[in-house]
Amino acid sequence: MTDPIFTALKFRNLTVKNRVFRSNISGRFDNEDGSLTQTRINWETKFAKGGVGAVISSYVPVMMEGRIIANYATIHRDDFIPLWRKLGESVRAHGSKFILQLSHSGRQMDLPGATNQARQTLSSTNSYEPLHGFPTRAMSTGEIAQTVRAFARGAWRAREAELDGVELHAANGYLFTQFLSSGINDRTDQYGGSLRNRARFLLEVIAAIRAQVGHDYHLQVKLSAVDRNNVIPWEGKGNTLADTVKVAKWCEAAGADGLHISTGSLFPHPMNPPGDLPLETLATTYDAMISSGVHGFRNFLFFRYPMLRPLFNWLWFRIKGDRRNEGISLDECRAINEAVSIPVINTGGFQTASFVRNALETGALDGVSIARALVANNDLVKHWFAGSEQPPRPCTYCNKCLLNAPKNPMGCYEESRFDSREQMLEELMSIYETRGDLRIPARAAE
Amino acid sequence: MAQPYHVTFVEKELARRRRSWFRRLARLIGLAIIVAFLFAFCAVAKIGGATILSRTPVFDDERQHFLHASIGSEPSSGIPYVLWQALPVLFPEHFAHRKDYAAFGFQYEEDEHGKTDLPVGISRRPQLGIDLVWFNCAACHAGTYRMSDQDAPVLVAGMPSNNFDLHRFITFFLEASTSSQLAPGEVFDAAAASGNRLDLLDKLIWRVFVLPRVREGLVATREALRPLLDRQPDWGIGRVDTFNPYKTGQMNMDPNGLSDEEVIGASDFPSIFLQQPREGMKLHWDGNNKSLAERNLSASLGAGVTPDTVDHYNLERVARWLGGLTPPKSPHTPPADAVERGRNHYMMLCADCHGYQGNDGYVFEGIYLGEVQDIYDIRTDVRRLNSYMIEFNERQLSELFAGTPYQFKQFEKTNGYANMPLDGLWLRGPYLHNGSVPTLADLLLEPHLRPSAFLRGSDVVDGEKGGFRSPDCPSDTPVNDGFCYDTTLPGNGNGGHEYGTGLNAAARADLLAYLLTF
Repeated sequence: MTDPIFTALKFRNLTVKNRVFRSNISGRFDNEDGSLTQTRINWETKFAKGGVGAVISSYVPVMMEGRIIANYATIHRDDFIPLWRKLGESVRAHGSKFILQLSHSGRQMDLPGATNQARQTLSSTNSYEPLHGFPTRAMSTGEIAQTVRAFARGAWRAREAELDGVELHAANGYLFTQFLSSGINDRTDQYGGSLRNRARFLLEVIAAIRAQVGHDYHLQVKLSAVDRNNVIPWEGKGNTLADTVKVAKWCEAAGADGLHISTGSLFPHPMNPPGDLPLETLATTYDAMISSGVHGFRNFLFFRYPMLRPLFNWLWFRIKGDRRNEGISLDECRAINEAVSIPVINTGGFQTASFVRNALETGALDGVSIARALVANNDLVKHWFAGSEQPPRPCTYCNKCLLNAPKNPMGCYEESRFDSREQMLEELMSIYETRGDLRIPARAAE
Repeated sequence: MAQPYHVTFVEKELARRRRSWFRRLARLIGLAIIVAFLFAFCAVAKIGGATILSRTPVFDDERQHFLHASIGSEPSSGIPYVLWQALPVLFPEHFAHRKDYAAFGFQYEEDEHGKTDLPVGISRRPQLGIDLVWFNCAACHAGTYRMSDQDAPVLVAGMPSNNFDLHRFITFFLEASTSSQLAPGEVFDAAAASGNRLDLLDKLIWRVFVLPRVREGLVATREALRPLLDRQPDWGIGRVDTFNPYKTGQMNMDPNGLSDEEVIGASDFPSIFLQQPREGMKLHWDGNNKSLAERNLSASLGAGVTPDTVDHYNLERVARWLGGLTPPKSPHTPPADAVERGRNHYMMLCADCHGYQGNDGYVFEGIYLGEVQDIYDIRTDVRRLNSYMIEFNERQLSELFAGTPYQFKQFEKTNGYANMPLDGLWLRGPYLHNGSVPTLADLLLEPHLRPSAFLRGSDVVDGEKGGFRSPDCPSDTPVNDGFCYDTTLPGNGNGGHEYGTGLNAAARADLLAYLLTF
């Protein structure tokens, strides 16, 4: 009998060899100007080597104003197309597809860097991001139109780079979520108010991309099934599953080829990525973000001083309750999958073969996207293919990879998974084996 | 000015918030300072202004001074004027639903503005910006008389206060001390209803300072007096227990530690006419002091002053005036021949002890006048004598006004009652020290023939028997007007002083005719 995990997934414009996608995850590998580096190629390729069907790039801004973190590769310039082409080639060399995730941070800008630190971020609202206090300004309709064009140009560049498709990151609190969510969007123009108005920006982007790249290029949309926006208790709860089902249908009608379902209206969120939130780790890394928001120092005090940690833990974990980590939004994904006819993939703690297999067989999803479990075990798919339920040292959902991201190299920081700290560091450093061709800059004309 | 440089927008925003917070804080502090200054200014202006502008009223007229001027009781014993005026509104059932204090027997005079707002015997003195009111001498030593029921009462300064029910007045305050009616909101409403609307600052001062202090004072008084009053019969109208409240209130003696003989001492308010001729006589009912000045100071303590608060100037001015205050001439017109016969009897039986009424006024001559008559001779009720204890006497001498020129030196424990001059006798009924004999005619009867229960509180002159009309009353039945005096109760005995009772009826009538001219 054929293993559903290793059955090809056919989108309208793309076929993926199996049902496992590397979900978007990255480190600060790239150059300050947004050009990608050999390190990124190494990073993305190692998952392709591990056997995933497709790699969904980490978050790739379509504008410099939309970066979450400096030193993430962008796709805002045409001269970056050859770089991305090289990355695509590298991934495809191992039989995987590469889907570039087109993104804009909106107000969720963790590390603005030199480019963005002197201005407010753009969003649907003037309300500052509530957790960190990132400064925010509501976009004018002109700026919205400009951003729509930037997404379309980003998609065009991806196609020009011969990448296999694009994904719109409309989940997890970034710019699209800031428009979609009733808990965030407080506009009174045609981009605020009703769900249809709040979805207008996303649907305009899909239409613009289709106009730019045609209907034969793979385009998928990542959505949060439920916002649960009230992590800060006085914030509105945001969109419900019923809202997202409607948005999913509108995306399909607008020309999306697939959906990627996550959860939560900010990132990180108590339910995404699901697992622990070791504040003692944050106490050593959050200092990189203190100056990013007006609440940065306040938050740091909560992380630094053990006496204050229980209060933050209560605030954070009251949302997740006792939900399981693996497949945390599976039921919500199932509801969306039943409502649309395009393939739907789901993210959220997947790393057990039988669990994924069952989800596929019961029609809850058409594929799984995985980040942390693949960071922990790049060859997770090979273990599954060999018949293992899980790798010998599975991901512990500790989220230390996430919490180190603002300050340290991306990778697994759970020492218990390694024989030694040195082995952990060796693994972290493995992607820096760039061996690139170095050259001497040209001399200025005399 | 150059704009400050901020590396990031967040820094700029934080700086703006800091400035904003600083401005808000500065505004708050500024506002707090202004409010505090205004409050302090208003408070100072109010207190200072009230102190400067509302001094204790000064009266040019000596009689008015006696009736209304302060002797210094208010700071130690008084209550705020506003509360005084509000109490009839707060406790209408105790005030016979009147807006004044007439229900307790207080008398009001008329001035050019109509009825005075404070009754006779109540004076006013500002203390820390609050006008306080309490007793002066006239509370107990000014009474009224009428020749008939239809007449208007005539106020006589210096006569015993034959209307004032001090016992009921004190009892009312003891009850009020724990009443919810004295809550700030109730008091403010009542004050407004009585014409003294308090402003916001006043209300604040009253909430945090005035009312708690008044309450505490009343409760402390209640603690000191209630156990004592529980052991005593009602004093009745026109009477006071002079020394026992002082024992428990000021000297902190345990009321339950007093013997039955010592714990009751109610007696009549005395008249205080013509004090100067009394200098050197044994004063007080039991003759325990022969110094007018000490007697006056001691009496003022009874009115509520303390050694610290007594207004010596005002008190001495009263004393000087009382020195020559003659009682109004007797309105009685008995037959001249009877008077003459009676005078003869009097000169033989009474004049040595009491002096006599001459053609030009009272003659303060008599070999025993102003001396103490031993209790075994006079045999009147002994309770008042016993209430003045040796221990109390010792503490009077050692504690009161100690270290000042006013320290008591003359008080002594006696063993009888003093022989008093009888000037103004027609205004001094009922008679004997405890007011146990209603009329002069009754006083000339043997004790067992004297009324055993009679009504006190009338100011209608009894033209036949002398004194005021005092009909018999059933002692076990409440009366609507006045107080039924029961001579069988401890301290109320009407025995003794049997001088003249051995005369035949005609001779007694003649003697009475003479006495009616006093």
